Amino acid sequence: MSLRAEAARRGHGLRGRLLAAFVLVAVPPLLLFAVFVMALLSDRLERAAGQRLRQGLDGVRARVGALQHQAETAVAAIVRADLARPASSEEDARQMAATLGERHGLPLLEIVDGSGRVLSSRQWPAGVGLPEGDREVAGVSHLRWETVASDYGGAERMAVVATRPASWGGVPVVVRGGFPLDAEMLGELSDLMGSEVALRDTARGRWVARPDSPLAQAPGFDPSKGEGTTDVSGTAYRWAAAPLGASLWEVVAVPHTLLADVTGDVGKLTLGVAALALFAALATALVLSGRIAGPVRALAARARGVGAGDLEHTAVEAADEVGELARAFASMTYELKTSRERLVQAERVAAWREMARRLAHELKNPIFPIQLSIETLRRALDQDGAQDAGRFQSLFRESSDTILDELRSLRAIVEEFSQFARMPPPRLAPTDLGELVERVLALYRARAATVKIETSLAPGLPTVPADRDLLARALGNLVANALEAMPDGGTLAVKTRAAEEGVALEVSDTGPGLTEEQRTRLFTPYYTTKKGGTGLGLAIVQGIVSDHGGRIQVQSTPGAGTTFTLVLPISIMAEATT
Amino acid sequence: MRPLPSREAAATFAIVLALTVGGGSRAHSALGPRYGGELRIALAESATTLAPSVPRGLTERILAALVHEVLVDVDDEGRPRPALVQSWASAAEGREWTLRLAPATFHDGTAVGSADAVRGLRRFLRADSVAAAHLARVLEGGDDFRRRGSEALPGITAIDDARIVLRFRLPAAVPLAPLASPAAAIVSPRGAGAGPFVPTTPPSARGISVTAFGRHVRGRPFLDVVRLVSAAPDRASRSEVAVPDVGPAATPSPPANGLLLLLLDPAAPPLADARTRALIAASVDRAQLARHFLPGGEPAESLLAPTLLAPLPVPSPRAAPGPATLAGRLVLRVASDVPQSASQRVVAHLTALGLEVQAVAASAGPASSQPRLLVWYPEVAEAGLALEELAALAGSAAPIRSALEAADGLRDFDRRRAELQRVEESLRAGHVLVPLARVPLPLGARPGVHALRATASGSLVVEDAWVEP
Repeated sequence: MSLRAEAARRGHGLRGRLLAAFVLVAVPPLLLFAVFVMALLSDRLERAAGQRLRQGLDGVRARVGALQHQAETAVAAIVRADLARPASSEEDARQMAATLGERHGLPLLEIVDGSGRVLSSRQWPAGVGLPEGDREVAGVSHLRWETVASDYGGAERMAVVATRPASWGGVPVVVRGGFPLDAEMLGELSDLMGSEVALRDTARGRWVARPDSPLAQAPGFDPSKGEGTTDVSGTAYRWAAAPLGASLWEVVAVPHTLLADVTGDVGKLTLGVAALALFAALATALVLSGRIAGPVRALAARARGVGAGDLEHTAVEAADEVGELARAFASMTYELKTSRERLVQAERVAAWREMARRLAHELKNPIFPIQLSIETLRRALDQDGAQDAGRFQSLFRESSDTILDELRSLRAIVEEFSQFARMPPPRLAPTDLGELVERVLALYRARAATVKIETSLAPGLPTVPADRDLLARALGNLVANALEAMPDGGTLAVKTRAAEEGVALEVSDTGPGLTEEQRTRLFTPYYTTKKGGTGLGLAIVQGIVSDHGGRIQVQSTPGAGTTFTLVLPISIMAEATT
Repeated sequence: MRPLPSREAAATFAIVLALTVGGGSRAHSALGPRYGGELRIALAESATTLAPSVPRGLTERILAALVHEVLVDVDDEGRPRPALVQSWASAAEGREWTLRLAPATFHDGTAVGSADAVRGLRRFLRADSVAAAHLARVLEGGDDFRRRGSEALPGITAIDDARIVLRFRLPAAVPLAPLASPAAAIVSPRGAGAGPFVPTTPPSARGISVTAFGRHVRGRPFLDVVRLVSAAPDRASRSEVAVPDVGPAATPSPPANGLLLLLLDPAAPPLADARTRALIAASVDRAQLARHFLPGGEPAESLLAPTLLAPLPVPSPRAAPGPATLAGRLVLRVASDVPQSASQRVVAHLTALGLEVQAVAASAGPASSQPRLLVWYPEVAEAGLALEELAALAGSAAPIRSALEAADGLRDFDRRRAELQRVEESLRAGHVLVPLARVPLPLGARPGVHALRATASGSLVVEDAWVEP
């Protein structure tokens, strides 16, 4: 399971790494590019806005200057030519400013006497005869707040004026004429320059701007800062201001929306492209990883199969290096299979040879005494039979005893072979190893006269599916071997513990140990280091363990003892082919 | 009063004479009135209703005079004269007046009867009208009826189909004057008027047309049709506005019966101080205002026209003790019938005093006391009622109302006049009502329109007008 999980994790890991690689290659450069573009655009737009603002301020000043010059020219002409004669009547005097203003193109024209009383006014005829109430802008002689007629009353308008003293019919007067810097004019300037133009009188807290100008709605506006940004109804404006007087400022503003719109669009475009790139990367990663990982996974599955013993060739279709690996793996599998078959054959042959050798050896031992006994009897019969019947009878009895003993020995050998050949299939049932160990050791405690028996049985071990009798026989063989390895005493330790694959049963002795050669041939049938042994005991143990789906391994150090470890699964595994 | 039907004979004779003598347009006017013709009057505002009510502007005043008729009218000097009532007689020392209706017909053909008069008066007594309030106060049961405390009105009864009796709580000097209010016009049960002209189109933003009513109580008017058209460029057709017979004039014709009135509300912070109001009242150069900013106007020092009430000599304004300049902000509501030049001049005076003035347009007609500049015409051109109306406008205190009630009870006209003069002086003394100038109706007639005259109540008498062919 863990191998499968690991293999799956490796497949997903390859896909994930591929995806991460594609994303890292595609997305960050795109984001960096977008950031660079936005920064560049922002800088360019800011510069353009600044230039527009400067041009706007210059434009307003130029316009004011032009109007001032125009007013001065017109007022000078009036003073020079039109006021020589007094008015013919009171009505004529009251109308004079309107008449002269019309003639000289001055929308604003007033004639004021020496006491500041209005004698005639074009823009505010209602003020004739009353004190002039207009207000100058501090520090500026050519800018004034002029009262003009508006609906049912008067309204104050910022104006560019020119003022000259004159004499009207011998009466000293002041002639003041000019042009309004009103919302209409500023609106025209705004349209002309493509930006919002307004005037701000900080002393009176008033704006001169067209009605829908956002500047007039800007909260807490302070033109003395010179420039800045302000937000009006959710729209950002960049503005610049320059003084026209001590308390009068010209203000020009441009909406910042262009920059916000452009950066917003670039941002959206970047996100869109990044999303596309991400999607493309994901798709490419999925496709490529599928094309790469697929064969790899197939190869891994084949490897697992090989590990499980399936050496049948199954082609893994793949191209390039993976395909090369798959072909090499297939070739290896084939070689492994043929080698295994040869090995199996060789082992079979070796096993048969060993069995034949052992059989020959085992059979030869009892056969030779039998042959010898029979030859002795014939000789005795031929030589001593006629003369000494008694001696022949004694010799016959002795020889027959020998023959019978050897025949029993032969029978035992045949019986063991028969048992090894007829090893029954295990009948599995949940078996408590600890209880099994106790039962088996109980049988051998009487024989372990000089040997100390120690047990270490782990509590809470799961039961294993096992044939109690067969497993007891296997354990018994191991215990018997261990006892036989310590004829002069020692320690026999039997231990149960949990293992990765299931439950482990260890049988250790403190005997002489095994050499390397002995250890490798230990489980070969008919191999024995004991006198009189059939050499089938450990083979039987191996067979029993193998039938239970487990494995047996031996660790030994010459002079230090030997440990046999049986690992049994706690669930049935596939049978291993032998 | 218009001539009786014998004017037809006179007109015929005049025509024959003209044909005999021959001649041009001068001959036409020299012939005198003629029947027929159409008069187009261009007005700034349009009328919205024909129901009898206190008119809220020039258009409604003119239309009321065209379409409706009252029981009793007053002349320019406030003296009652017959209208739908042809005669009256008093009894019980002036506490009971019997009015006899003239044989008249409504526009829908039904005869004008005492039941119509009673119904009309009952409706009038509950109208939003100073004259109605005055009548309710003096009639028996009138106050209770007006307050809707009772539906019984013992002060008005119809004794037969042609006569009604009015019973007053106390004898009054001019008990019938309130009946001259346009709100007291008598209509038929279906709402038809009894005026000299019959509406042929409903009132709309474009105007209204009326035709001569042949069975008017004073006889058929000379004109066949009168059209009141809106002078607003976005409403009327160009052809109608382009050539009106009567319309806005740069120099309106006399008489100047309207009062340009500056109403200084003591509740407005800069005006709470009486010295401030006195300073404002004294600072306005009325002669300059009338001469240069009110075409056809005349300076006014008193609240009522001399024809209504001869004013007491008004002392020359002295510089009132107190501040020579003022400070503060004022919102001045200006009625639409005030010429803009006059309004601007008043604002200039106030600004010269140091006030910060914002002039805004306000709807014409009486309104709650606020700083206002308006052209005022009395609802009824009678001195006592006019002063009562002005006192209500100024929110005057009880002493003035008491003095008016006392004057109303004086049947000696000289004593009554003296009392009213004192009331008028008291009203002026508070400087809440500041008379500035007399103004004529802002209308002028083209040559060829004759006998068109303005009334002291700010209306036009069209029923006697005629046009040359």
